[in-house]
Amino acid sequence: MEEWDVPQMKKEVESLKYQLAFKREPSSQTIPELLKWIEDGTPKDPFLNPDLMKNNPWVERGKCAIL
Amino acid sequence: MCDQTFLVNVFGSCDKCFKQRALRPVFKKSQQLSYCSVCAEIMATDGLHENETLASLKSEAESLKGKLEEERAKLHDVELHQVAERVEALGQFVMKTRRTLKGHGNKVLCMDWCKDKRRIVSSSQDGKVIVWDSFTTNKEHAVTMPCTWVMACAYAPSGCAIACGGLDNKCSVYPLTFDKNENMAAKKKSVAMHTNYLSACSFTNSDMQILTASGDGTCALWDVESGQLLQSFHGHGADVLCLDLAPSETGNTFVSGGCDKKAMVWDMRSGQCIQAFETHESDINSVRYYPSGDAFASGSDDATCRLYDLRADREVAIYSKESIIFGASSVDFSLSGRLLFAGYNDYTINVWDVLKGSRVSILFGHENRVSTLRVSPDGTAFCSGSWDHTLRVWA
Repeated sequence: MEEWDVPQMKKEVESLKYQLAFKREPSSQTIPELLKWIEDGTPKDPFLNPDLMKNNPWVERGKCAIL
Repeated sequence: MCDQTFLVNVFGSCDKCFKQRALRPVFKKSQQLSYCSVCAEIMATDGLHENETLASLKSEAESLKGKLEEERAKLHDVELHQVAERVEALGQFVMKTRRTLKGHGNKVLCMDWCKDKRRIVSSSQDGKVIVWDSFTTNKEHAVTMPCTWVMACAYAPSGCAIACGGLDNKCSVYPLTFDKNENMAAKKKSVAMHTNYLSACSFTNSDMQILTASGDGTCALWDVESGQLLQSFHGHGADVLCLDLAPSETGNTFVSGGCDKKAMVWDMRSGQCIQAFETHESDINSVRYYPSGDAFASGSDDATCRLYDLRADREVAIYSKESIIFGASSVDFSLSGRLLFAGYNDYTINVWDVLKGSRVSILFGHENRVSTLRVSPDGTAFCSGSWDHTLRVWA
């Protein structure tokens, strides 16, 4: 970035102004929602549910596998 | 003896205004010219003006960055680990290698899953791109690229084509055919052209458009059929190493990471950078959207992985340990987003609890750097590719 000339720096300044205008939300709102999303998805996540793993096609069950 | 300084004046036609004046020698881009004193003054102040403009722009950029940090800090009212305290800790994980795909003659650099959850495309330093049925470990297709270091490969959403590229500076699309008489290489279509190596590529929601990232510092969106450049994305100050498209529900954005330590979120339609994050201390090797589209994770040569909240516009978690000193090359989330799988240059794969910030598992098996890692479309397994020439499917 040190070798940038005037036109590139102008674009960078414009881009920064655009980024500054972004509509941010407070963490107290976004983080709980992130958590909720995870909790809602947890029952369907094969890695987090050992019973789902039993049906996992990758895990060998018996001696024979029907492909 | 007397000391006298003589000023020698050359009279002639000024090289700029052509008026007959006393001339001074002037150097412009290492070429000697003769300017009159008026034109010489003007040139000196022009140069000063240009430098002042650059300096004032730089300071404006710095102050804008400062304002960005202030705005972000205002909304930093809660920490992820605080809110996550009430969440139950995860139990022990048993993850093993379920399949090993052998066949590449050199370092595996990239891989991607097909939407059918069993086919995989992988590319290698030896120029080969292979499509595998990972259940049976059979190779279904193989193509030899005209270049070595095929650093990027991707499966088309339809499952009917693959895209790849690397040191050839291009991204080419190969339709997949099951006709044994057809030569895959003959149907190759060159889509993207960059001025430096191709580091990453991805189809958008359809087979019709491809997004590419390159060592030339730009990302670009291309129409596959015509090879036309639809949009280009400028802003990285160095090579772009990775990109990831937002999950389709959330819209037309993608995130890219580069050697300038920045992760940037772009609007695909306008080409504008919407958000940028510069918290890593070294090259960002991998970026991956969180499944809801409201966050993304990154893996870097600074040996950390980080989570960024896109709505609050800040970094919310760092996944690191003092004992981890090698760079993270590739990251991906489990289906719910609770787990972050990361492949490292110390040959291991670490599994992180996204909410608590702790490592829940460390997986050994590869005999060289893990270069690429992707979770399967239904979340039942993940595949890792390594410099040890193999790919492993873990579940």
